[in-house]
Amino acid sequence: MNPHPDLTVGVIHGLGWLYLLLFFLNLGWTVRSYKVDGQYESLMGIKHAPKALVWAAYSALLLIVTLVHFAVESDASNFKLRLPEFIKNPADAVIANPISFFCLSIVIYAAIILLRKWWVKPTVSWVLFNLSVLFITVSMTDYDFRKIVGKPDNVPIVGMLFLVGFTTWLYFSKANENDRRIAEGLPVREKELSDQVLVWPDLVYTEMICMILITALLIVWGVALQAPLEEPASAVKTPNPSKAPWYFLGLQEMLVYFDPWMAGVVLPSVILVGLMAIPYIDFNTKGNGYYTFNERKFAISTFLFGFMPLWTGMIVLGTFIRGPNWNMFGLYEYWDAHKLEVLNNVNLSDYFWLSFLELPLPKPDPQAGFFSQAGSILLREWTGILVILFYLFAIPPLLAVTIFKKFFVKMGFVRFMVLANLFLFMASLPLKMVLRWVFNLKYIVSIPEWVFNI
Amino acid sequence: MADNKKLTTAEILALARQQNSGGGADADDASESSTAPETSQAPVPTEDKKPAAAPKSTADILAAARTQGGEAEKPKPATAPGSTADILAAARAQGGGAQGGGAPKPKPAATAPKSTADILAAARAGGGSAAKAAPAASQPKVKKAEAAPVGDRPALKDMVAAVKEAQASGGPAKPKLPVGKPAPAKPKFPSKKEKVERRKFVATLAVLLLTPFVVAWSSMSAIAAIWSLGIARFMMPNMMLELPSKFKVGPPSDFPPGSVSAKFKASRGIWIINTDEYEGQGIIYALASVCTHLGCTPNWLEGEQKFKCPCHGSGFYITGVNFEGPAPRPLERVGISIADDGMLEVDKSVKFQEELGQWSDSKSYEVA
Repeated sequence: MNPHPDLTVGVIHGLGWLYLLLFFLNLGWTVRSYKVDGQYESLMGIKHAPKALVWAAYSALLLIVTLVHFAVESDASNFKLRLPEFIKNPADAVIANPISFFCLSIVIYAAIILLRKWWVKPTVSWVLFNLSVLFITVSMTDYDFRKIVGKPDNVPIVGMLFLVGFTTWLYFSKANENDRRIAEGLPVREKELSDQVLVWPDLVYTEMICMILITALLIVWGVALQAPLEEPASAVKTPNPSKAPWYFLGLQEMLVYFDPWMAGVVLPSVILVGLMAIPYIDFNTKGNGYYTFNERKFAISTFLFGFMPLWTGMIVLGTFIRGPNWNMFGLYEYWDAHKLEVLNNVNLSDYFWLSFLELPLPKPDPQAGFFSQAGSILLREWTGILVILFYLFAIPPLLAVTIFKKFFVKMGFVRFMVLANLFLFMASLPLKMVLRWVFNLKYIVSIPEWVFNI
Repeated sequence: MADNKKLTTAEILALARQQNSGGGADADDASESSTAPETSQAPVPTEDKKPAAAPKSTADILAAARTQGGEAEKPKPATAPGSTADILAAARAQGGGAQGGGAPKPKPAATAPKSTADILAAARAGGGSAAKAAPAASQPKVKKAEAAPVGDRPALKDMVAAVKEAQASGGPAKPKLPVGKPAPAKPKFPSKKEKVERRKFVATLAVLLLTPFVVAWSSMSAIAAIWSLGIARFMMPNMMLELPSKFKVGPPSDFPPGSVSAKFKASRGIWIINTDEYEGQGIIYALASVCTHLGCTPNWLEGEQKFKCPCHGSGFYITGVNFEGPAPRPLERVGISIADDGMLEVDKSVKFQEELGQWSDSKSYEVA
């Protein structure tokens, strides 16, 4: 018998409960649709059929699927409703490849912003929600997916992803509404309703119900999911893979591309200081106290770029995709500790001296004095140092006279320089990632003698 | 009832004293705030108003006292002019109070001959207090005080009259008060036999109550003393003595060419490697199993012939040279030599870093 079965009777029954939940959710949506959505002129010959009919049919289908799942008593391996291999393999190939994974996250980020008018519509977002739940239920029929997503450590991260989706939807739906009002010359929603503050009982009851629900959720969670304890720590045995707490997985991912002092000290400090500096470098007086996108396009796009592909995306990457030996694994892929990934990383100085000039690297003579050593080290690394200096000192003025011209005029020299440097530091992560993936570039400046690598 | 009444007078006096300290302070404040000349002119015309405000509280208290314990003090004839009567009453009340706490009373008299009410009160307090020296002391003061407001004769007369009256009436009043006070107390006190019994009872009670505490404290200190012996345990800590940094790992024949031995990884954190991949010469060397990126422990993957770190994916060749992942420099060698008995001896106290050119040091390897 397969020790790692894709499906067992217990799993199928569990999925049945999930489908049942989804059925009830869609039943409610059908009722809402009947009240709100109106009707088709003509649907398959039926005239004036309410649009809710489609949802009713979908709900009925979910109910049938639920019953099918509950009906299984034995012989789980022959259960037909499962993710086929011809979908798993391409999906694995896309996700396990860092380039396609990153491109996918960038595409999603761009779609969230560009299609904001479309995907925020209630029906569309409900369809998206259904698709995401169906993706999980169908994927659960795969052993490896179930193992990684169902790990007690990772369940809250799945919940967090839904939460991120919901808050993003909430923001854009409110921002769209206000953008429409501003375009029509109406007061924003928050201003129009500003004299109505419904506290008692509206707010207080809402808070109380939220409190009760959260408490109940925490109790169920605490009872149902075991604490993810591991074997006693040992200095000579590192778990494989060894993962940081989920909220630090973005930082751990940065450590793959940067030297520890860069990824562990400099960049986190820049993130914190940069977030604190936002109120001081923000010259846009609009969007104060109400949701809007059109009036704060730069600020919100920049923030979302840092938050969605870089922070959340890196957490997803670190949680679900990084496996043994910190290799990338597809969602449906077995975590093979011996998966062979060839990653011959090369420093920029190697590229310059060995590949381009075809000369040996200038090597500092350990017996020579400090200045002689420093000279040969600088000679070895001068290309990288030049690139870094150009990036930090030449690009801000270039930005000021090109694409950020208006910003520079409005912000003045100091504020613009702070903004430009924060921007460049943020961009350094994706840039370094892309350089690593495409050119196997390890470090732009690599001076291990001085523990200085960029 | 009588007991109650008499008891209450005592309580009331206490109360009065309390309120004196509160309300009296107010009065003092008021009298202090009003300047001396004002008060000297004030007595007659403003007698009704000025002192009325100050001693009101005491007068009220006294009135209350009189209603409750009227027997103790002979009420003043109501015929007396209202204001002076009040003052006198207040003064007597203060004089009565002075018996308990004579000290506070002379003070106002000595410090502030300001308002007539105060003066009178002080005089009576002095004259009426149990201390015999007090009247002598206070009377001159009163006279001095009287001398100040010379301008207003009627007032002075009044005052003198009032003082005399007070002395006359206060005289009998005083003996009464002390009599009144012990009177309730005496019948209350139990007889001597009772006293003794009660004392015994109290003693037994004290013993009964204290015994558990004594037992508890002494046993606790005993236990604490025994426990404190446990400190001696710290003289012999439960620790593993640091292993010597130099140790023998066996004869070179234990490590055939092309092999990586993880035999000492768990206990000593080193690999022993015999290979000719570094500069073509067959050598035996020891690598510290600490990743040069962030210090995790890499694993030797035999199939891929590389060291691979599980934390961030750094990879190292069998030589220890880094080639993949973020590790910025090669793994570190530790010292190795052949001891006198032909065994390989590893010395973890010295490190050899490739990027510093230290791998050429002959202490970092042994020719296989």
